[in-house]
Amino acid sequence: MQTKTYNAFEMAQEQFDRIAEMMQLNEGTIQLLRNPMREYHFSIPVRMDDGHYKVFRGFRVQHNDARGPGKGGIRFHPLETIDTVRALAMWMTWKTAVVDIPLGGSKGGVICDPHNLSERELESISRGWVRQISQNVGPLSDIPAPDVMTNPQIMLWMLDEFETLNRGKYPGFITGKPVGMGGSLGRTEATGYGVIFTIREALREMSINIKDTTASVQGFGNVAQFAIQLYNQLGGNVTAVACWNQKDQKAYTYRKTDGIDLKELSGITDRFGGIDKDKAHELGYEVLDGNQWIKENVDILIPAALENQITEDTVKLISKKVKIIAEGANGPTTPAADEIIKAQNIYLIPDLLANSGGVTCSYFEQVQSNLNYYWDKDEVLAKLDTKMTAAYRSISNLAHRKDIKMRDAAFITAVTRVAQACQERGWI
Amino acid sequence: MSRPGNIPTFNREFFESSENFTTIGEGNIGGKAQGLAFIKNLIEVELGHDQSDDFILDIPRLTVIATDVFDMFIERNNLVDLRTSKLQDYQIAHEFLQGQFPVEFVGDLMALISSIHTPLAIRSSSLLEDSLQHPFAGVYNTKMIPNNQPDTTTRFHKLVEAIKLVWASTYFAEAQAYIRNTTADPAEEKMAVIIQEVVGFRHGDRFYPNISGVARSYNYYRFGDNKPEEGIVNLALGLGKTIVDGGVCWSYCPAAPQTSTPFGTIKDLLQNTQLKFWSVNMGKPPEYDPIKEAEYLREDDLSDSEGDQTLALVASTYDAASDRIQPGIQMKGPRILNFAPVLTYESIPLNNWVKKLIHKSREHIGVDVEMEFAITVDPISRRVRLGFLQIRPMLYTDEKINLPQLDDVSAKHLVVSNNVLGNGRIKNVRHIMYVKKDSFDKSKTLHIAKDIADLNEILRNRIIPYILIGFGRWGSNDRWLGIPVVWSQISGAQAIVECTLPEMNIELSQGSHFFHNLTSFQVPYFSVRHHKNDDFVNWELLDQQTSILETDNMRLIQLDHPVSVLVDGRSGKGIIIYE
Repeated sequence: MQTKTYNAFEMAQEQFDRIAEMMQLNEGTIQLLRNPMREYHFSIPVRMDDGHYKVFRGFRVQHNDARGPGKGGIRFHPLETIDTVRALAMWMTWKTAVVDIPLGGSKGGVICDPHNLSERELESISRGWVRQISQNVGPLSDIPAPDVMTNPQIMLWMLDEFETLNRGKYPGFITGKPVGMGGSLGRTEATGYGVIFTIREALREMSINIKDTTASVQGFGNVAQFAIQLYNQLGGNVTAVACWNQKDQKAYTYRKTDGIDLKELSGITDRFGGIDKDKAHELGYEVLDGNQWIKENVDILIPAALENQITEDTVKLISKKVKIIAEGANGPTTPAADEIIKAQNIYLIPDLLANSGGVTCSYFEQVQSNLNYYWDKDEVLAKLDTKMTAAYRSISNLAHRKDIKMRDAAFITAVTRVAQACQERGWI
Repeated sequence: MSRPGNIPTFNREFFESSENFTTIGEGNIGGKAQGLAFIKNLIEVELGHDQSDDFILDIPRLTVIATDVFDMFIERNNLVDLRTSKLQDYQIAHEFLQGQFPVEFVGDLMALISSIHTPLAIRSSSLLEDSLQHPFAGVYNTKMIPNNQPDTTTRFHKLVEAIKLVWASTYFAEAQAYIRNTTADPAEEKMAVIIQEVVGFRHGDRFYPNISGVARSYNYYRFGDNKPEEGIVNLALGLGKTIVDGGVCWSYCPAAPQTSTPFGTIKDLLQNTQLKFWSVNMGKPPEYDPIKEAEYLREDDLSDSEGDQTLALVASTYDAASDRIQPGIQMKGPRILNFAPVLTYESIPLNNWVKKLIHKSREHIGVDVEMEFAITVDPISRRVRLGFLQIRPMLYTDEKINLPQLDDVSAKHLVVSNNVLGNGRIKNVRHIMYVKKDSFDKSKTLHIAKDIADLNEILRNRIIPYILIGFGRWGSNDRWLGIPVVWSQISGAQAIVECTLPEMNIELSQGSHFFHNLTSFQVPYFSVRHHKNDDFVNWELLDQQTSILETDNMRLIQLDHPVSVLVDGRSGKGIIIYE
């Protein structure tokens, strides 16, 4: 049982405070970095298909832009809160700093449930979001991207609205656009592939052959599917995946002990990453409780769904066989669970690093869009791999040198870079 | 053996790493790379003590992309059908260039290319070469890239393009024709790729070694008193392309390095010395053509190397006043690349090294071998480096053939030659394809090559073997010296006859890929000199036969019964008899 309601922002601040204390940051820096620099709350009125009007709440939080324009996704989620968006914006600041790309951290969102919206209603919300915030975002100040339940089509609507308002072409305003409309090749694969690049490096350090490993994955959206794809290509075997079932309003774990078939499962998956339970059963998958994924007797756990999934309660379910947890999602592990993971000596690749492939490729897309010159996929993925590998090795080296955990090493690296940028700008 | 067990995995620090032989991927490393692994081991175990501060013997730093990466590329980009398609080579290459490189390995390539800025050779190392039965010499593409662009991304693209081109060459027409001539299943062929440092130094816009060489432990083309088993070495200034493409180079027997090749006069020697040399183009980028194997290569006149100060080691000078050849380049005059400073005065003990390498390699492999190497002399430290580039087996039959008396010319003798390449007998051929002697015009060799290719295709499709007879140097790159066919265009020939004419009196080429493939398939090669009384082709007998196909330049005849082709490799004599 959880002892109190989960608040992502409190968790993000808690993480930061601990690192700030370790680094002995001065009070000014702490105050600047533990809160967003700016945040915008606004209403988006939309005429629904049945003729009535509904007002949606939208946010944009700009945590810090000392190292460059803000960068962060836009989430459409019924349970969205400003604190979640604040936390995610802060994590974006750290994430861009960890992989050392010249961007700051932002996040946005709209409280809505795309499952229950028509395409026209979604378009209206998307365009409405841009109309409300267009003065405060843009290719030189804050660059949005897709996130939970937003997609390339939504990015294109938003770009179109922004360009209409600003009377020009600004493909660098937003990333995650469709390929051929300003999107970057490799963007779809980037986050998932990035998770596996870091796992590959971790296994190399541990002298474990990836072909001898098994994994269990929470989530079956974009990140999870491409992570599974590359992991399989490298020889690993995923035996279980868990995902949300919209119809039953609960999660299930789908298990095949000799290995799931990615192609087969993606063929019975909806656009939000929900696997058809009945068809999965017909294909011979065990349909188990949503939390089963974490109990699996595997070498690697990849939480690649939402935040707050490995908690003080669920962490106890982790098998003793597990050697690596790679956080494909943002903030899937609570600080309390983190302590237990440390004590159990499970090697944790923190979200800041593990899922930074997405923002790295978004950065590549922004560079390409600003130049209006696009790279081929080999180039994008080669640069992604080298960037992620370099980031991993630098964090891992710091962790080894200072005898600290990877999450702390990642935070220290990121906070150091951001604090230094703020100081050099004369802000603090 | 799929891959030697002690080859480490590539570690993203190509030149900084202490390893000079690594792999990317986990599959087979192919025949060529295995040969290099063998030599690496030989150098470390048996020849390492020969090294000194003044001399380095090594294999150039390399990493091999194993065949499993090729498999992934083919499968994920749906390219497998191209092997049996009717697409032309350039179209196949285009499809490969459009394919996405397996994501697992692009980071390794980016890391590799970030750390090096010197020219690279991207070489094939195919699986079927592994069998040591067919050397596949020159069948697949090798691409050299200057790799000196300041932008890492540009260098990355050039590297990836070159790898894809080498992969694509697996499906090219010549390669497929070659494989069909073996017992192997074309579908089984897979390609590993070697990314290797080019041995050489930069001289202005050129990058090349002082000497390139090909050494063979057995010599099919004997001259003077040399014995076949004493072998032969070909040397050239610049990249080895001069030698393997059958260009003019210097040949000598390792048992007698100071004996000159059989040029009767100094004039002959002057006319048959290397006049051009190949290098990697480090200068202005050429026209973009990723499909062209020689995109970044340049061929310059020998005189251009004077300023590079690379001639001193390899050239002699003709002194017109004394009508003699003076070793070195101290005096002005026409240069002759006879490598006298090295072979006669042993300014570097090249011949000793070559003999030792040949001997040790032959001893370990158990068959005669052919090896390619490159030598550089550091312009500042004067340190000499011998970089080992390739080793492969030579094949020939040991059957002892007893020839009839060649002097007793009979009407049944179709071809007689005292200079034949190969050894053995053939008894199943009834078809002869020949260039018409009376209408032969050396300005039409390109048309003739096309006719031959067309006829070859028809006969191959019907599985009909034939004997090919023509004028000049077969397989020459220079259409004025012979008929410029590539091997795949004559792949059905069971025996080949080369004739000279007063207007096309060319010395035999040695060491080219073309000839190597002929010998590897044990195709006898007859050389018929028009000015030698005991060499002849019975043109009358040929012309009397009814042609079954005929063009302006060619005739294809079918005899009533098969001819006998007999070649005695020990004496270098042969005969084709129609009884």
